[in-house]
Amino acid sequence: MEETVAEHRVRPSDLPAPPKDAIRIVQACSKRGVDSRDLARIVTNDPVLTAELLRVANSAFFGLVSQVKSVARAVTVLGNRALRNMVLCISMRDALRKDAIPGFNIDAYWEDALRRAVSARSLAELAGLDADECFTAGLLQDFGLLVMLYVHPQQIDHWDALSCANPEQRRDLEVELFHTTHDEVGLTLATSWDLPSDLALAMGYHHDGPPEDADRQDVVLCKVAACADWMAAVYRCVDKRVAIQRSRDMLKEYFDASPEQTDYLLQKITASVAEAATAMGMRVGEQLPFDEVLREANLRLAEDNMSYQELTWRLEQTLAERDRLADELQRELDLAREVQKSLLPGCDVRIPGVFGINLSAKAVSGDFYDFYELPDNRIAFCLADVSGKGMNAALLMAKSASLFRCLGKGIHDPGKLLNMLNREIAETSIYGMFVTMVAGVFDRNSGTVTLSSAGHLPALHMGPAALIGEYPAAAPPLGIDPDSQFPNASFDLQGGCLYLYTDGLLEARIGEQRLEEEGLLRLLKEHGHLALEARARAIVDAVLDPAGTLEDDLTLVIIDGGKQHGLR
Amino acid sequence: MAFPVEEKQGFSVVMLDGEVDLNRSPDARKVILTCLKKMKHVMVDLSAVEYIDSSGVASLVEGFQYARSNNLEFGLIGVSESAMSVLRLARLDQVFRIYVSLDERLAHGS
Repeated sequence: MEETVAEHRVRPSDLPAPPKDAIRIVQACSKRGVDSRDLARIVTNDPVLTAELLRVANSAFFGLVSQVKSVARAVTVLGNRALRNMVLCISMRDALRKDAIPGFNIDAYWEDALRRAVSARSLAELAGLDADECFTAGLLQDFGLLVMLYVHPQQIDHWDALSCANPEQRRDLEVELFHTTHDEVGLTLATSWDLPSDLALAMGYHHDGPPEDADRQDVVLCKVAACADWMAAVYRCVDKRVAIQRSRDMLKEYFDASPEQTDYLLQKITASVAEAATAMGMRVGEQLPFDEVLREANLRLAEDNMSYQELTWRLEQTLAERDRLADELQRELDLAREVQKSLLPGCDVRIPGVFGINLSAKAVSGDFYDFYELPDNRIAFCLADVSGKGMNAALLMAKSASLFRCLGKGIHDPGKLLNMLNREIAETSIYGMFVTMVAGVFDRNSGTVTLSSAGHLPALHMGPAALIGEYPAAAPPLGIDPDSQFPNASFDLQGGCLYLYTDGLLEARIGEQRLEEEGLLRLLKEHGHLALEARARAIVDAVLDPAGTLEDDLTLVIIDGGKQHGLR
Repeated sequence: MAFPVEEKQGFSVVMLDGEVDLNRSPDARKVILTCLKKMKHVMVDLSAVEYIDSSGVASLVEGFQYARSNNLEFGLIGVSESAMSVLRLARLDQVFRIYVSLDERLAHGS
């Protein structure tokens, strides 16, 4: 069964359980005037966290001047803010167990996250922000991706693709796989877990930029996170050249950094990741040195700078291939056109009292008409326009035309026939494609017409000199709502004519002016005296430019109730 | 993106404007479907639409159908006179949920 989008949505109830003790500490840290002794007491309630906190705080990476041996001391030396960040980093690292996502090694995600964290940290000075704050934001900014994988472990197979895509490609891929993005999920999680607002903003808005009312510092933190994303991508994604250039551009724009400065910061990532991993107790693979990254990037550059001769040769090959494909396509289109033509009444089919003409703007058409004789001197007729242009419209046209001919021979009530067609088309049609159609029966004995219109332009009933009546659609087009109903309209032609047409006729131009209904009525009056076929051709010729080109498919069907054809 | 989207009261409001024709309909379609694929309820604001052709209408129909099969809400608000005449002519006013404004929709409750 096909998966629906609803099955993909990440709801707050799907999220992993929040690290409650840690969040209590984080919230206590954020309170103004909190007593450091109280804070120390809350922390020591959690012995595992206490041990980990002291280990991390004493690591070379976080570089405290003196070793701290107790939580009370750590609280004093670090200060509330740094304590908060350290607790967050540790607890988020442990929020998902290593085996929480079957078949996936979470270390691979954290290695990527560490690269963003150290990149963000390296920008602290340029951005005028606290280094640990930047590190924490960088570490957490893509946590939403891990959550999406946790909620949809069946998408684990796509990890390789996700991990070697650049930040923009990755986000597109996320929409495709998860129907949401890591920043959106990150924000949901940050809100649901009640994480500090500055970090929530960095998690939720590092791609699209923060809301207008955000704090200036928070805006800068979002910029840091955005840059960190691309800097980390330099080491991860396939096209490293693009990631390097993008990092240089963003650092220039946000922090007025020179390309050399950016390259220096990029170069430091390798060593910093290893140090940070040790400090955070995370396992990372061997890190590619920046020189190696540059070599890979330059290799791609070299490919782009191929010799002129080689470029010319490649161009010639490409053009030859293009011509071959174009010929092949043309042959296919010719065949398709032949099939389409065979679905319309042939030129040799002459039924007194009805005439149709169809011109297509492209090789294949989305318009069609049909008519055939029924018992008791009646004629079944239709005219239709499929939404869209090109091959998909042509295929739906073929289906609709076949259904009309096949079902219409058994069902002589136009409304009922449209009902059947609508259900058939709605059942299998592609979203956004529909068919407007007028279907009817002309009784040549009584001179009456019964018709039903599904979203089509009004049928025009003309007398010898003036419009007698218009029959607009009474129901929506076919293929949209399987439950639509299609009422009939019946009327006496009174010796006049009924004109059915597609929008290609109304939108055709005479000079600069579109024909519109007013222009069409004028043409109908002007050529009303001509015989049926000559009249149809005169109307169409009037809107064709000298070159005979068309903007849209154009179709016209005339039902003639005139006595001159000896129909009554 | 060519057409802006505003998040309001639980709806993504897609603001179409000007001429929604063969050239711009692909953008309209993309914006509408992107919102729906994020499982957002969508209201399309047609108040600034001067002209909409069948390709533009097809984008709206596609949004309507996608929303229906994913249990999302899809409606039109502030439909301009010219857009309304196109919808009426094709009897699509029977298909779409049409409101004067987002406030009117909100007054209806969920």
